[in-house]
Amino acid sequence: MSQQQTAVLEVEHLSKQYKKGIYASKDVNFTVNKGEIFALLGPNGAGKTTTIRMIATLLKPTEGDAKIEGHSIKTDPAEVRKRLTYLPDEAGAYKNMKGRQYLQFMADMYADSKEQAAGYVKTAEEICKLGDRLDDKIESYSRGMTRKLLLARTIMPKPPIAILDEPTSGLDIINALEIRRMIRQLASEGMSFLLSSHNMLEIEYVSDRVGIIAKGHLLELGTPDELKAKYNAENLEEVFETVVNNKESMGW
Amino acid sequence: MKFISLLKKELREMLTLQTLLMLVMLIVLMGSMGGLMGKAADESQAESGKITICDLDDTPFSQSVLKYLEHPTADMQNEVNVITIESDDYAKELDKHDIKSFVILPKGFEDSIRDGKQAEIVYVSRMTSLSMMSNINAGSETAVQLIQAAVKTAMYTEKINSGKLTDDEVSLMEMPVYVKEQTIVADKQGEVSPLMLYSATYSQSLFMPLIVYILILLGSQTMVNAVSAEKLDKTLETLLSAPVSRIHVLAAKMIAAAVVALLNAAVYMIGMNKLSINPTADMPDDYNKMVEQLGLTFDVKTYLLIGVQMLVTMLIALSLSLILGAFARNIKSSQTLIMPLMIVTIIPFMAAMFLDISTLPGIVKYLLYAIPFTHTFMASDCILFGKTTLYIGGLVYQIVVLIICMGIAVKIFTSDTIFTASEMKFSLGRKKQKVYED
Ligand SMILES: Nc1ncnc2c1ncn2[C@@H]1O[C@H](COP(=O)(O)OP(=O)(O)OP(=O)(O)O)[C@@H](O)[C@H]1O
Ligand SMILES: [Mg+2]
Repeated sequence: MSQQQTAVLEVEHLSKQYKKGIYASKDVNFTVNKGEIFALLGPNGAGKTTTIRMIATLLKPTEGDAKIEGHSIKTDPAEVRKRLTYLPDEAGAYKNMKGRQYLQFMADMYADSKEQAAGYVKTAEEICKLGDRLDDKIESYSRGMTRKLLLARTIMPKPPIAILDEPTSGLDIINALEIRRMIRQLASEGMSFLLSSHNMLEIEYVSDRVGIIAKGHLLELGTPDELKAKYNAENLEEVFETVVNNKESMGW
Repeated sequence: MKFISLLKKELREMLTLQTLLMLVMLIVLMGSMGGLMGKAADESQAESGKITICDLDDTPFSQSVLKYLEHPTADMQNEVNVITIESDDYAKELDKHDIKSFVILPKGFEDSIRDGKQAEIVYVSRMTSLSMMSNINAGSETAVQLIQAAVKTAMYTEKINSGKLTDDEVSLMEMPVYVKEQTIVADKQGEVSPLMLYSATYSQSLFMPLIVYILILLGSQTMVNAVSAEKLDKTLETLLSAPVSRIHVLAAKMIAAAVVALLNAAVYMIGMNKLSINPTADMPDDYNKMVEQLGLTFDVKTYLLIGVQMLVTMLIALSLSLILGAFARNIKSSQTLIMPLMIVTIIPFMAAMFLDISTLPGIVKYLLYAIPFTHTFMASDCILFGKTTLYIGGLVYQIVVLIICMGIAVKIFTSDTIFTASEMKFSLGRKKQKVYED
């Protein structure tokens, strides 16, 4: 078995009902392998964040389970939390803190020793490229700066899997490109990523495999090339349109 | 190590410079309030010796009254300012002489006394505000009383001279009934009037509840803001997905909140000290002894009991705000969330200020007792007046409420309620919109 085939995250029949009878996510199955970048692709309200929040141990699944390196989110959430980091979409940071204080605080949360925490902070400082601004209060940061700070925070402990909900939202093209390159680089070093986005082009560029999700259902799964070939499409946008239309005409 | 970092972070969030400044301001405010009240009392004492009078009668008797006003008894000396007025446009006269009040002995004053009729004097004063302290014209009040006394004396002297009354009869008529006032506080007894006691403890009973109210609001606001900000910025999602015990996350919040609460309680006690009875003030010596004898002074035990009550109260308020904050949907809603808390605080606050809650009719009383903060506002009364059962009962009830609140808070933070709670309303709102669209 090659290294690529080791599953880091296995999602099995994962479902969530916020209200009885209405599934925000229904019977979702996929795996993310070591060093793989997997993207959930779907329109607003498709259930991406819901699925991600279940995996990040924040929401309890109504049905199904997910395992990170064999640890169940249902029975073993504490072990799961040691193996992932999570960046919520549209997240902020503690506004009263300075950038560096925030990194230090979050490093303390993930590290087992002072030395390790110091190492994390150093990594994050290099990744976020905020320089002297790290000594300013987060209050004074722009959206993009905050996003970069948070991304750096998410990546710094180099966990088995990083879960990023809309990682590049709010970033300009240059910064978004930089982030994508960084994700690719880290993946090649063996870190796995679970991303969500509705930006098809970004996904096509960055991810190894995608899952198309709409109305809570995972409709298609495959590499961008596989999917494009299967639907005889120019790009993922067309694939997405066809998949969703096909399903809708089948009447769900 | 993680817990220490969490605690440090919570303290940094909750004890902002702003909240600290607020507490310092509160102490300063209470200090100066105490000083101000004392000064106002001193001033009215001094004022009472300054009399402004206008003698329109100008007879030997009216002149002797003026003399008497200046020097009514052997050890009393007043400053009498005799003015003349040109019209009975009193507003203009007040302005002209730049005074707030004066007394007029009208023409025919002596004649009516001589004829055995009720004489008349005019007391002119200008009302400048509705506030209690500002309308006391101490000088003129003194004058009116002294003139009454002078006329009485003159009339008695006349009767005595004509042999119709004896001296003894006169002094008896001055005070036909002597009221020996006995006030019982708890089981202690003292020869002093309740009114006098009340006026001495007045500043406490008026300001203390207000300060409790402000502290509860201040603490709750801090907590609601801290929790709702953490939820809305999604820093809470990050924290709860990190390898750190959720109980620790919650405990750090509660401990930080408790530190804030303790600080508040300390401020409260310092303030209370500054506002409490100043025994050297112009009250007579045996009066002070009396207050002590009745147990109406705040000793260490009293302070401690009130402090404990205050701490439990703050913890209830904070854990309630923790729960409320979890339901925040946006920054604005976090402000409205605190409304119910404000309401259950202001009701007992008002009630305790104007009523003795323990004597209210059944249902109203128990409804008030059901509000945990009622017991806070009643605590000092209960302790001073020996209602021990009520104090302990209230405290036990508060501790039960506190445990329940904390239990709910733990439940919210350890389940996914915190992420689903508020948005239920959100999706409900959305549905309604859809109906309209259709
Ligand atoms: N806390 C909640 N309570 C009730 N319903 C919810 C809650 N959160 C999400 N939903 C509903 O679940 C569905 C899926 O939402 P979700 O946030 O997972 O979508 P998404 O794919 O992340 O969308 P977006 O691209 O807009 O972020 C939506 O219909 C949403 O209204
Ligand atoms: Mg989303």
